[in-house]
Amino acid sequence: MSYNPYDYTNRYIKKTDPDYPEKLKRYVNMPSGFYLKGSLPDPAKKSVAIVGARKCSSYGEQAARYFARTLASNGVQIISGLATGIDSYAHKGCLEGGGSTFAVLGCGVNIIYPKSNSMLYKSILDKGGGLISEYDLTSPALPFNFPTRNRIISALSDALLIVEARIKSGSLITASYALEQGIPIFVVPGKITDSLSAGTNSLLMQGAYPALSPDDILYELGIRREKKEEKNISPLHDPSFSKTEKQILKSISDTPLPLDNICQMCNLDIAKVSTILLQLELKGAIYQPSPGLYAIAYS
Amino acid sequence: MFCQILSATILGISCEPVTIELDISSGMPVFVMVGSLSSKVRESQERVRTALRNLDIYLPPKRITVNLSPGDLKKDGTQFDLPIAAALLTALEKIPKDSLDNCMVIGELHLNGDIEGVPGILPSVIKARELGISTVLLPKANAAEASSIDGIRIISLSNLNDLISFCLDTSSTKYDHIPKSNAHSTVKYPDFSDIKGQQSVKRAALIAASGFHNLLLSGPPGSGKSMTAKRIPGIMPDLTRDEQIEVSQIYSVAGLLNSDTPLITQRPFRAPHNTLSIQALCGGGRIPVPGEITLAHRGVLFIDEIPEMPGRTLDMLRGPLEDHTILISRTAGSYRFPANFLFVAAMNPCPCGNYPLNSCTCSPFEIQHYHSKISQPVLDRIDIRVDVPAVSYDELTSSSDDPISTSVLKKQALKAFNIQKERYRGTKICFNSELSPSDIKKFCHMTEESKRLLEHAFLKMDLSARAYHRILKLARTIADLDNSDIISEAHISEAFCFRNQNLFKRSR
Repeated sequence: MSYNPYDYTNRYIKKTDPDYPEKLKRYVNMPSGFYLKGSLPDPAKKSVAIVGARKCSSYGEQAARYFARTLASNGVQIISGLATGIDSYAHKGCLEGGGSTFAVLGCGVNIIYPKSNSMLYKSILDKGGGLISEYDLTSPALPFNFPTRNRIISALSDALLIVEARIKSGSLITASYALEQGIPIFVVPGKITDSLSAGTNSLLMQGAYPALSPDDILYELGIRREKKEEKNISPLHDPSFSKTEKQILKSISDTPLPLDNICQMCNLDIAKVSTILLQLELKGAIYQPSPGLYAIAYS
Repeated sequence: MFCQILSATILGISCEPVTIELDISSGMPVFVMVGSLSSKVRESQERVRTALRNLDIYLPPKRITVNLSPGDLKKDGTQFDLPIAAALLTALEKIPKDSLDNCMVIGELHLNGDIEGVPGILPSVIKARELGISTVLLPKANAAEASSIDGIRIISLSNLNDLISFCLDTSSTKYDHIPKSNAHSTVKYPDFSDIKGQQSVKRAALIAASGFHNLLLSGPPGSGKSMTAKRIPGIMPDLTRDEQIEVSQIYSVAGLLNSDTPLITQRPFRAPHNTLSIQALCGGGRIPVPGEITLAHRGVLFIDEIPEMPGRTLDMLRGPLEDHTILISRTAGSYRFPANFLFVAAMNPCPCGNYPLNSCTCSPFEIQHYHSKISQPVLDRIDIRVDVPAVSYDELTSSSDDPISTSVLKKQALKAFNIQKERYRGTKICFNSELSPSDIKKFCHMTEESKRLLEHAFLKMDLSARAYHRILKLARTIADLDNSDIISEAHISEAFCFRNQNLFKRSR
């Protein structure tokens, strides 16, 4: 079942409307009204915005999902922009964690952009989330709309998390809005050699908080983890993994690798490696970001 | 004065006998030809008339009627020149009346009386033998091709004078074709040891060749996808004599046999460019001729850059990949061509070829669009998908030959082939890839552990019923390569690694 925007009703919320978020009233450059599909973020709950590159790496995908899932399962609402890449993974991660997620769009709420996110639109609305846009109902996705909607994303949230960003990117625009609005900025650190992490690492340099785990953000928001989940043990120390499984796991990183390279690195034949790769995949320790390529999965 | 000579016409890749009846009677001087003739056949009278005149044989000023019987059969081709000339010579009593009894005559004429080769000799000779004909007279250029058929006398002629002198003394062996001892030169396939490293690709090629599983190679430019594909026919089991004749018949009809390669002894490797037309792929024309899928019969059809292929053309493969044959219907009739080939396709992982590395410059939409150009029904028919990684510098420059060579792989493939032959004795199945779901139940026995593993993976990975069957077929071949009657856990896991996953499933 794909998403049909006309199955859901719209509301226009003016500044005078009692539902107009208090958070937005604090700033001067906020819209005088906006269209809404679904519901608005619950002001009683904390919200975190997660943004990042459209063209992200599998590391970024993993990180965005992991953070969004964990935050959501601790009662945090996730706000993002419903673009491809990190934005989509943040929404998906939140839904996986059982939370509701909200998207601020750069087009009208009746326009599905990008088309590939059609299913995600539907599940956001069906799971109690909402779509927000200051543009006309059927306004197309114009390139200059996207940076400006970022100010609403940051304004609606209590903290901003940037997962992957190049040196010149929309996520950095969101960061500068957050800075103006006085919202704490968290950044997932990346490799210094990776152009996708150049923007995020430079933010760290300028004093943003490094987000090493979702706990860092939860602590800032003043949320104490309700049930202490068992500490995420690395499979390398997990006794349920065999010796060869660990050996193979050591050669797999978050850079996706084909079967051949893994065989070479562990000096084992294909039949053996393939058996173990399937086991590891079934155990959830690794996954295939693209068919035939293997990368570490963060649970 | 009436006489008749036997010849033949090609229909698809089979052959129908045609009798040339010629009558010279009193009346207005005219040369009439009847019997559902195409323009190619009709032109034959000019060639025959001129060729005879150049031998100082003049047609009498009488009514000459030629009928190609059966009259309702559409006839095409230039092979009727020689039999018509032979019939005329008989009618003119230049050659003895009974000299061409129990003979089949085929050949095209030049205006000076020289005889030119024609396509489709092999099926014609086979038909002649079936009909109990003792002698076939054919152009010298085609003699080598015909000599691969035993039990029939082949007379090779280079011009009309040869025909006359043969007919004057049919017992002389002057024109008998003597096959050269090593006429069947074997074409060597390139060797797998040329490819350095690439273990998983070679393994996938071996599994594909052993169980006749279609194969999709995906990898960056220059990683050796085409090199791999070219080497696959080399590890497939040799063609049997019957298969050689079967394949050669196709090539004979297509006019691709010559005196250097009178018989196709090796598995064909066809690599048409992806811009080819539907007719070139499937066969076509007013009188259909075999297309690439038929020319690849019992061999490999390789298409590079498969997402660049027009979708309509690619989708034409759906039928033949399932039925191993193609039926082409035209007003002239329906023709069934065999098309049992191993399909090997190659593609880049994305338009720029570097996905999933960071140097990839394609947007997610571009990548998805690129993948979506291959239609799902075609992908469904490809059992194995393997990534061909870029070759490292060390592998590239290593001087030692790779230990995995064609001869090593072929030995393994042959073993698996014999196991399959033994198992499917008495059924229509030849290879594991042809198993239907009910056959899978019958032939793919698993250990308890592998059943559990498969069940676990099936639930966890959300597999479709089709994917389940595909994995089992693949695991059957892997078990055969391992000389194991029962499918173990290791076989299932390996099949999982090589399975053709849904390319579009980007997110989990």
